[in-house]
Amino acid sequence: MNDISNPMVQMLEKFLTLASQRHTLITSNIANLDTPGYRTRDFDFRGELKRAISTDYPAMTPVAQAVPGLLERPDGNNVNMDRESMLLAETQLQFNIGVQLIRNHFQQIMTAINEGGKR
Amino acid sequence: MSIFSTLEISGSALAAERQRAEVVAANMANAETTHTAAGGPYRRKEVVFSSSGNMPFRMMLANFRTLGFHPIPAVRVARIVDDPTPNVMRYEPDHPDANKDGYVAYPAINPIQEMVDLMSAVRTYQLNASAVTASKQMIQQALDILK
Repeated sequence: MNDISNPMVQMLEKFLTLASQRHTLITSNIANLDTPGYRTRDFDFRGELKRAISTDYPAMTPVAQAVPGLLERPDGNNVNMDRESMLLAETQLQFNIGVQLIRNHFQQIMTAINEGGKR
Repeated sequence: MSIFSTLEISGSALAAERQRAEVVAANMANAETTHTAAGGPYRRKEVVFSSSGNMPFRMMLANFRTLGFHPIPAVRVARIVDDPTPNVMRYEPDHPDANKDGYVAYPAINPIQEMVDLMSAVRTYQLNASAVTASKQMIQQALDILK
């Protein structure tokens, strides 16, 4: 462990991995908006993040489960367009936050490198 | 499960919704077709979507062992089926396709139903296009870490 790859960057990496995995699930739910019998799939982001940062291993792929409590259409599909588009925006912003934090961290290191040589 | 696979998933939905819109367009164009190559009036068509993740257990297990994760289902048009609604009979004795009682069989196509179907297809297409935009933006952001 050193200053360039510290626990915060590792944590953010797991955060980004989970955010992109959730994004994949949401796009899949949106793609199957009109598929008869399709059930909305998702995972508990908070719980998975907590689990991922409590170990030193790289983030595991979380198990996606059917989301309970959604209104089902007569064809057996229970994808809610509003829920999915809201989550799409939310996940996109979460991902942006993670990226900005990582960039900020590396910029700080860059500043330390550059400013060290100046008098 | 990489972020690039989201583009494929959304792309599959774009293709499927476009095909659905094409089928609706064909239904509306043939609303008055009484004569087809197969004989009889045009039959209203409907698309059946299926999620490509609905695979047998063995394939799912094999996938899980080679890839290490569950495949995320995309969507595809499983088949295009004929609507079983009976034809509409109209009394037009001068029509060349009239039967011996003077009735002509027209396809049972309801323009309102087709328009609703078309709008639904267009909206879903738009939602999937937004998902593509979101994925592209996220990939771009990830690349910006390098800058």
